[in-house]
Amino acid sequence: MLDAFINALYLAFSPEVILYVAIGVLMGITLGAIPGLSGDMAIAILLPIVFFLEPAAALGLLTGIYKGGMFGGSISAISFGVPGTPGSAATAIDGYQAKLKGYPNKALNTALYSSVIGDTSSDFVLIFLALPLAILALTFGPVEFFALYAFSLLLISALTKGRVAKGVAMAALGILLAMIGRDPIGGSIRLTFGIPELAGGLALIPVLVGIFAVSELIIQLAKAWMERTQRIMDAARMQAQSLLGDYDASQDKLTFREFRATMKATWIGTTMGTLIGALPGAGSSLAAFISYGLAQRFSRNRDAFGKGSLEGVAAAEAGNSATSGSTLIPLFAFGIPGSATAALFGAAFILMGMTPGPRLIYDHTEVIYALFLILIYANVINLALSYFLLPLYSKIAMIQSRILLPIVCVLAILGTFAAGNSVIDVWVLLFAGLLGVVLRIYHFPLAPLILGFIVAPGAERALRQSLLIGRGEWSHLLSSPIAIGLYATAAIMILTFTVIMRERK
Amino acid sequence: MILNTSKLKGPAAAIAMTLMALSPIGSASPLGNDPIRLVIPFGPGGGSDITARVLSATAPEFCGPRIDVVSMSGAAGLEAVNFVRNAPANGHTLLVSDYGPVVTSGFVDSVSWNHDDWQPVMNFTEWLPTVYTRPDHPIQSIEDWVAAARANPGTVTFGHAAPLGLVHLPLILFEAETGLENIHVPTSGGGETRSLIMGGHLDLGMTLPASIAAEVASGQLTAIGVFSDERSSVLPDTPTFREAGYEVSLPAWLMVFATRDVPKETIEHLQDCFMEALASPTAIAMSNRINAGITPLNSADSTVLYQATVESIGTILRSIGEIN
Repeated sequence: MLDAFINALYLAFSPEVILYVAIGVLMGITLGAIPGLSGDMAIAILLPIVFFLEPAAALGLLTGIYKGGMFGGSISAISFGVPGTPGSAATAIDGYQAKLKGYPNKALNTALYSSVIGDTSSDFVLIFLALPLAILALTFGPVEFFALYAFSLLLISALTKGRVAKGVAMAALGILLAMIGRDPIGGSIRLTFGIPELAGGLALIPVLVGIFAVSELIIQLAKAWMERTQRIMDAARMQAQSLLGDYDASQDKLTFREFRATMKATWIGTTMGTLIGALPGAGSSLAAFISYGLAQRFSRNRDAFGKGSLEGVAAAEAGNSATSGSTLIPLFAFGIPGSATAALFGAAFILMGMTPGPRLIYDHTEVIYALFLILIYANVINLALSYFLLPLYSKIAMIQSRILLPIVCVLAILGTFAAGNSVIDVWVLLFAGLLGVVLRIYHFPLAPLILGFIVAPGAERALRQSLLIGRGEWSHLLSSPIAIGLYATAAIMILTFTVIMRERK
Repeated sequence: MILNTSKLKGPAAAIAMTLMALSPIGSASPLGNDPIRLVIPFGPGGGSDITARVLSATAPEFCGPRIDVVSMSGAAGLEAVNFVRNAPANGHTLLVSDYGPVVTSGFVDSVSWNHDDWQPVMNFTEWLPTVYTRPDHPIQSIEDWVAAARANPGTVTFGHAAPLGLVHLPLILFEAETGLENIHVPTSGGGETRSLIMGGHLDLGMTLPASIAAEVASGQLTAIGVFSDERSSVLPDTPTFREAGYEVSLPAWLMVFATRDVPKETIEHLQDCFMEALASPTAIAMSNRINAGITPLNSADSTVLYQATVESIGTILRSIGEIN
């Protein structure tokens, strides 16, 4: 055992492997920051590299990409209000508001630290608590999953006071959009209006990028056009503007006090992210949204959420990143790939002749120990690299949107096409953009829409599986203590939240 | 070629890989220098993707141009099928698929092609649908299952991936044969089926042998029976349904398809170089490593298998009223 650990140390800390991890982190951050592209895609494309590299080097590269991508998504979420990856959709809510207030650097730093804290904790849980957590995860069947999805939808829909009805309406719209395509249980095609390309449903990436990025571009275009007409009438207002506008970098530093104030939110995100990440199929976006919702409920500055709260950024980003270690738990414990990333890591193991599952750590002790070490120190590399790059990213974030947004949109369209090799995705992107414009104009919150869209397939499957297993009895949904507990928590939280809000008036 | 580069270390290997990809060796190929695309109608990381990558890693040496695996899971796989159907008929765009997106979709979905428009180039392997459960479940054999389903019809819950897919049709066929009734619970795929079975939420499930072989060997799962004529080589102790007295066999396959209008010589060239590549020591080593059980069939034999599958799937779908 000790021998194996020492050999693993040599494997993990060989200069070559460290270099691969660093390259991976850089690639991940860059790809994650481009809307539409994600670390998962890069891992999928680079899978065959495991034929060419030593296992530790290959796993180092893939781990680096994964971790870099997790954080990279928050860069565009904060800088452009466009989540670079689905997991960072919740980060965009407060991160973009923070940027609009002129402090992207604070938000980016908060995202980085909470992301690294969440990720590292999750990796330790994977290493030391994989089996108990995996057994706990298996107790989640269709009944429990449906309760979890319902809980998350309630939490996020009732996020903003005074807009609960709009929130619920948006969640419902998200669910409706997600129902387009093939019925997961009956197999028939529904809501496609005779367009055969829609049979597979709307893909997540184009909907996400369309709603957030394309709608923003259209609004900015409209604004620029209005300003231009204004300017012709009022020539005196014409003045040359510098590339960065009036952004003052020296005023935008994260202080230690501000950092400490986000710690509670970070730990809420870390805990929820680790637990939800271990559930097969639940995913990082769900973890981020639930963490965000809970952090708001438990925050002293509840009202700042949605208006650029650093706590909001920290909770969402910690929740998102804390899934990264624990998502591998079902793979290591039972050989079950619980997420797209876990499936890709599983494929990498298989391509290297290692069968995912409980035997993995006994049959390939050194490589797996090396992977554990890499998982931990990749976070340090991520922290170090990002620390030096963030000032640059915040400057990019403050480049005027008339220059930046077209570039972001071109990248978004290319990224969307690359993600699915599909032209229909580009049309979905544009339609989602138009929908986003209408929703923004009438102040409908976008987060419940996205969460509804993300959880609907799982929630529908869980509901209908529960009803199949319970032979059509709706009472079957209350047959599990975990489910009852989740419903009760949701009810209590919404009640107390409403009461507190009422008292404050 | 792979063996040579695997001796290179680190960045050199990555560079070598790129160079290899850019400079094809056999320029005498009738396929020219444009890359061949193997389009898979599924997401990356699954069995089809992994198997296709063995070909993309070994065949360029024999075929001429570089070979890319392209994943298009859109429209439940139909996007990939239509993409290959609409590509120029020069043998550079091929489909790697099981029978679902080609045979079943050709029957149940509104598509602009029919089954005769597809021409098998080669078959990689046969996949044998296997029924399994957890070891502490009262049902531990085909006989137990039949007895339980007869005693209380419509109570045994059975998890399978997408409806009418290759791990669902055998169940339909078995029920038609025996008159048994089970509760069919579609899942998002093999991973979800397995976690629901291990967590005690479902009774039985169906999957392909390679994905449970390790767990069956270590006693974490019990394989109950295989829907094929002969036992699976990775699950040698698991009986077939035929051995238990039920004439139900519905193996699946993974074929490389070209469209019907690709010239005969091109198909033959592809068949020859693919078969040659898969017979190379590198490919055999890779196949063993990933437990893919690659036993290639040539174009003619694959065509016979394909037509037989079209016949039998059609019969099943007609018998359950899915098509007329």
